Amino acid sequence: MTSEYSMQVLAQLLVSGIAVGMIYGVIAFGYQLTFATSKTLNFGQGEALMLGSLVGLSVVTITGYWIMLPIVLAFGMIQGAVVERLGVRQAIKTKSEAGWIMATIALGIIFKNLAENIWGRDALKFPSPLPEAPLSFMGVNVLPMEVVIVFGALAMMLLVEVFNRRSIYGKAVVATANDRDAAGLMGINTSLVITFSYALSSMTAAFAGVLVAPVTLTGASMGGALGLKAFAVAIIGGLSSGMGVVVGGLILGITETLTGYYLSTGYKDVPGLVLLLLVLSLKPSGLFGSATIKKV
Amino acid sequence: MKRIAVLAGIAAALVFPFVVTSPYYLHLVVVIAIFSIVTLGLDIVFGYTGEVSLGHAALFGVGAYTAGVLAFQFEIGFWLAIPAAIVVALAFGALLALPALRVTGPYLAMVTLAFGTIVAILINEMTFLTNGPLGISLQKPMFVDLRTWLPFLELSRPRMRDIAFYYVVAASFGLVLLVVNRLLASRYGRAFEALRDSPIASDCMGVSVYRHKVLAFVMSAGFAGFAGVLFAYSEQYIAPNNFSFELSIQFLLAVTMGGRKSRVGPVLGAAIVVYLPNLLADIDQFRAVAGGVAAIAVLAGGWRMLRVPEERLRTAVPVVLCIGFFVFSLMLQKITDYKLTVFGLMILFMVYYLPEGIWGFVKAGLARLMPSPPAAVARGDDAHVWSATAPVVAEGRALLEVQTITMQFGGLKALDSVQLTVMPGTIHGLIGPNGSGKSTMMNVLTGIYTPTSGAVVFEGHEIQGRTPSDIAGTGIARTFQNVQLFGELSLLENIMVGLNHVYRGTVGDVALATPRARREEQAARLRAASLLRFVGLEALAHEEARNLPYGKQRLLEIARALALDPKLLLLDEPAAGLTAPDIRELIDIIRKIRDHGITLILIEHHMDVVMTLSDTVTVLDFGQKIAEGVPAAVQADPKVIAAYLGGSHAEAA
Repeated sequence: MTSEYSMQVLAQLLVSGIAVGMIYGVIAFGYQLTFATSKTLNFGQGEALMLGSLVGLSVVTITGYWIMLPIVLAFGMIQGAVVERLGVRQAIKTKSEAGWIMATIALGIIFKNLAENIWGRDALKFPSPLPEAPLSFMGVNVLPMEVVIVFGALAMMLLVEVFNRRSIYGKAVVATANDRDAAGLMGINTSLVITFSYALSSMTAAFAGVLVAPVTLTGASMGGALGLKAFAVAIIGGLSSGMGVVVGGLILGITETLTGYYLSTGYKDVPGLVLLLLVLSLKPSGLFGSATIKKV
Repeated sequence: MKRIAVLAGIAAALVFPFVVTSPYYLHLVVVIAIFSIVTLGLDIVFGYTGEVSLGHAALFGVGAYTAGVLAFQFEIGFWLAIPAAIVVALAFGALLALPALRVTGPYLAMVTLAFGTIVAILINEMTFLTNGPLGISLQKPMFVDLRTWLPFLELSRPRMRDIAFYYVVAASFGLVLLVVNRLLASRYGRAFEALRDSPIASDCMGVSVYRHKVLAFVMSAGFAGFAGVLFAYSEQYIAPNNFSFELSIQFLLAVTMGGRKSRVGPVLGAAIVVYLPNLLADIDQFRAVAGGVAAIAVLAGGWRMLRVPEERLRTAVPVVLCIGFFVFSLMLQKITDYKLTVFGLMILFMVYYLPEGIWGFVKAGLARLMPSPPAAVARGDDAHVWSATAPVVAEGRALLEVQTITMQFGGLKALDSVQLTVMPGTIHGLIGPNGSGKSTMMNVLTGIYTPTSGAVVFEGHEIQGRTPSDIAGTGIARTFQNVQLFGELSLLENIMVGLNHVYRGTVGDVALATPRARREEQAARLRAASLLRFVGLEALAHEEARNLPYGKQRLLEIARALALDPKLLLLDEPAAGLTAPDIRELIDIIRKIRDHGITLILIEHHMDVVMTLSDTVTVLDFGQKIAEGVPAAVQADPKVIAAYLGGSHAEAA
């Protein structure tokens, strides 16, 4: 094995790691959206991704990939709003942390079970909108879909950010995130804003679902692991930093592919937890998060 | 009454295997007891401290696999497996809790969820140790051969083995129940409840929220590990998929469903959860139960609709849901496909309509039917109010020195190079208009804020940057501008949380109920009652703190702060919202505190209170000290008058 060859392997691993990492990042971004407005997050986020991907699979055969996208995004928004309405609103009112965690987990379980009954338990092939033959740059193979994943994920995060900063609705979201009580007193319907943030969050997850499905496979059980990885990313990057999820996603994605190749594919999920514990012990607010000061 | 119930329970457990001879039911009861050990432990974390653990199945699995690996690889049996598994589970518990609980938020849930996945992967992958997906078989030990003692029963050898194992599990369950009960009735249980009601007040009473949450989780992990060993030997075969995420959810469901913060609830919940798969395997049985639940809902809901007509609509929703669920059960053809949906719906229903669980619901009903007899009034006396702790500063030296403290929030300087010197044995008034930085000063002194620059020297040691609970331990106690009591604890217990620092006994002492533990508990109880007497609240000792009127809550806060045996007591607007007679009482109490050698810093807007009590008064305005001196001089200072009445400093000067 020459060193040139091993450099090529390393570059190949980096490329795959970046693509996977961006998917984690975009899901973690969804956690941030709801955490900002309500200090809650959807423990069934992986299932939102899975539903988006499976609905996309059913629609794509009729409409083709590009027309399927807005349909899936709309579906994701509705699904997120349902989760907030059924699982989170009551718990926010009663200030019960256990309440929303349990309720969003329960909804995730129900969604997964329903998906199993509708689409079956097997992994399904998702048609790719782009040629599946890899492009080759200096000996490193890149799937066209991997390029779409990286830029699609970045574009989605950028769009949501621009919306939040520029539009009046987005400003209501930011205001609620800063101080829910004060925003409420200024006439902002904060519970609507929270519902909306859940809709946006599930929309990004559904989008991630149809991005990743052509590269991996899709199926009722695809969500759990991805949702979990995104937790790790959200903690590593910080639950409040947009930059954090991108970098956190890349760190996790690359470490995982490297572990998978150099150690064993069986252990590839382990570094996530190790990183997560390390970051929590060294910098609890995340690599890019800023510590908040609690007021008495 | 309670003693009779306990004796009856023990007797029933003893004769059970001879009354119910079916091995199936014997096994069912064993599994329920094992699950109960997990849920009783989980209740400490989930019910008391309010943190969610999604990793208890994994900790349970860690215990089971410790037993499995010891038996499979090293031929080490049951009795050594128990301590080994407990130690391993405790270690994993600490590994998870120490980082995850440093920040508030859903972090523990996220970390334990990840842990569950990793444990499943590791068990599967580390084939050299765990035999991988094939699992491990073990042999249930034959503890005693009862046949030699009771030959007339004519028991077969496997049945004898099962019965002996049943007794071991039953004894373990009884032991765990006893230990958990003792722990939660002790200062630890009080701390767990207190930190949930008001984390800030806990920290400022020297009860570190972080340390106690970690302790709760680690103990809970130990119980899960112990239960794991019993489970491994009860099933005689363990495989990685026994300990999935779904099982963690089942444990949580058991505690929620049975009822949190009780001993009955988690056991009841464990029984339901263990029986659930049977229910969900048989469509007819499932329909019958769904029908029964719907009938109960219609009856209970109907009764409530008649009683509380204005909430008719709110009551109707769960009733309709229950009926809908029954219809759903009739429509289902194969229940097994929808097992998880049913499971999820149960969780949602519990979260929405029975957050206190079945036992909580029953208990509330019982309490309405039979009001509990009034508890005996706690007896305190004058001799046990004070515990002398003289400050260790040289004659003529300051007790507290604040050296050019600056506290900056973004661009705003809430405190700007403030100097403050507090002499021992004095009352130091701290006044200023709203927003002048008084409360910020309190928060800096008690460690809630770390100052941007400057030093706080207390008894000659720098204390800035230390944690609030550490600082409380050095002898600085406080009350809060917006009262921070432990609402669900009684008055007496509120004060006993403040007395946490006098205990020397450990968790072990509490679990074993050693003489030291009992002695300390009694002493603390007497001291707490005496402190209550000092502020005139003795008669209300067993009332929940949240039921007190506002003025009394402020007095209770002072008594709780005194329990810390402070050398320096910070009172943040103690007279706010008090009536004139209450204020006179308060002035009296503050004087008595000073007379016992405790130094006070008093923030107050009632000028008459500050001016009559204080030896020295410091005035803050916009984060800067503008005046200091004896009350009369400060009152006459034109800068002070300007600050309060408006106008520029230049004009005043």
